[in-house]
Amino acid sequence: MALTGGADTTARKAKWWFVNAVVVVYALVPVLWIASLSFKTKETINDGNFVPREWTLENYRAIFGTSEFVRALVNSIGIALIATAIAVVLGTMAAYAIARLDFPGKRALVGVSLLIAMFPQVSLVSPLFEMERGLGLFDTWPGLILPYITFALPLAIYTLSAFFREIPWELEKAAKMDGATPAQAFLKVIAPLAAPGVFTTAILVFIFCWNDFLFAISLTSTERSRTVPAALSFFTGSSQFEDPTGTICAAAVVITVPIILFVLFFQRRIVAGLTSGAVKG
Amino acid sequence: MSAGDGMTTTRRGDALAAARYLAPAALVLVGLLGYPMYQLVLISFYDYGQEQASAGAPLTFIGFDNYQRLFSEPQFWGVLGQTVAFAAACVAGTLLVGGALAVLASRVRAVPRTLLFLAALGAWATPAVAGSTVWLFLFDADLGLVNEVLVGLGIHDMAGYSWTYDKLVAFALVAGEVIWCSFPFVMVTLYAGIRAIPAEVLEAATLDGASTWRATRSVVLPLLRPLIAVATIQSIIWDFKLFTQIYVMTGGGGVAGQNLVLNVYAYQQAFAASDYGLGSAIGVVMTVVLLVVTLFYLRALRRRGEELA
Repeated sequence: MALTGGADTTARKAKWWFVNAVVVVYALVPVLWIASLSFKTKETINDGNFVPREWTLENYRAIFGTSEFVRALVNSIGIALIATAIAVVLGTMAAYAIARLDFPGKRALVGVSLLIAMFPQVSLVSPLFEMERGLGLFDTWPGLILPYITFALPLAIYTLSAFFREIPWELEKAAKMDGATPAQAFLKVIAPLAAPGVFTTAILVFIFCWNDFLFAISLTSTERSRTVPAALSFFTGSSQFEDPTGTICAAAVVITVPIILFVLFFQRRIVAGLTSGAVKG
Repeated sequence: MSAGDGMTTTRRGDALAAARYLAPAALVLVGLLGYPMYQLVLISFYDYGQEQASAGAPLTFIGFDNYQRLFSEPQFWGVLGQTVAFAAACVAGTLLVGGALAVLASRVRAVPRTLLFLAALGAWATPAVAGSTVWLFLFDADLGLVNEVLVGLGIHDMAGYSWTYDKLVAFALVAGEVIWCSFPFVMVTLYAGIRAIPAEVLEAATLDGASTWRATRSVVLPLLRPLIAVATIQSIIWDFKLFTQIYVMTGGGGVAGQNLVLNVYAYQQAFAASDYGLGSAIGVVMTVVLLVVTLFYLRALRRRGEELA
């Protein structure tokens, strides 16, 4: 009895390990493959080897040598950072009100922000295109920052209010009773408790802005404000005589690696942020 | 009586403070979402093409003509149908893979679990454009790793096989990528849900002689049902809105537009065909559909007693 139980567990363990291995392969192979391609020379890029036979930084040198890519990278970083900062500040204010204050229409408000988060972005592309051309915002940084704020804000409000709900706000009152000024009570007691939630939200919002492709291809037309995801799609047809695979891969690695590092480094917090809307407590 | 009055004044005070805190966000949302939405509906009632957009030709109000044109267009119904089917396949795949992995993650020890989570988060974090591009390279007809491996395994027919030429194969390929980048969310959510189930409940089931499968079906699944509902609807909303993957992987909708989904269709009508009126009408239709799905989502949330605020 015990013996069969033991054999059963070993077999089951082996099965779990196998499934685990398949998943890890499914999840990791694409990422590793693109990294591998980006380090291959033009001659060996099609050899199908998983590990490059000849390592080269040629592709990276090539993309960083073009203003097209460098400019796109600067645009991506700048636009995503500014949009994140604004969305998080406005979102924090709104979420604070939702978590702390009692006012009519509060429930509806979170529902509405959720509704906006679900809104199909593509619907807004033509009207935004029209408006931005009218206002001279087309193909500028604000032209992308503004729609990013719009779509990041509901996400920020929703995630932040889930976090803020868990903060023991009575501590603020206790600190005030102990003689702290309101500012002190907020900075010393509440801010440290709220910081992880705000930080997590900022990461999620940043990733959203960084990854956007739809607005990036429709609301920009030149290097002036084109972000990396959009620039990447223009790499493909840049020259029909030169195979752009290596450079595309290098560019993809450059935009993917920071996000993956970010996510792996803060994985606990991000998991908390992802599940905050779905899991209670 | 006085307590009641006190309540009202606090409420009123709160409402005032709340208005101050909410004003900036509201301002942004009204200006940047409300106004374009109004524009969207407005444009959908006009004959709005290239001449109107760039040359300032006079606008003609055509009422519901754009909608009529859209609804009488066989391509629209075709695209709508395949959008729904494709989204359904992606949602089912995502839930299946994500759910199985959540169970797996709750069964294995710390090291393989960490490995699993790292791999999943890596896939989740890859920008859609980069992910789509890699998948295309992996499945490239002549140079892709997948064909090479398949040929190496002795399946010689796969040499030079194009994964994007056949409609269903192309959809399957895109679905593979979509599931790849969206299963981590479901996995993480359901894993958190499984961990929240008290160990005693499962122990009691085991003591009563329930097999693992039986315990999963009769104890774990019912407890997870509300979470599964939330994950499902969230996946529906995402997968219905897919744009990047289809646009990048099938080159803007596939051979002769065979792989179009609603989102890409709207974009193509508005931008490639410069028919902003029709594009806007598609946008309105999509919004209405998603609105309905979202209302179901809110109801699912409410039913499980999740407090929204």
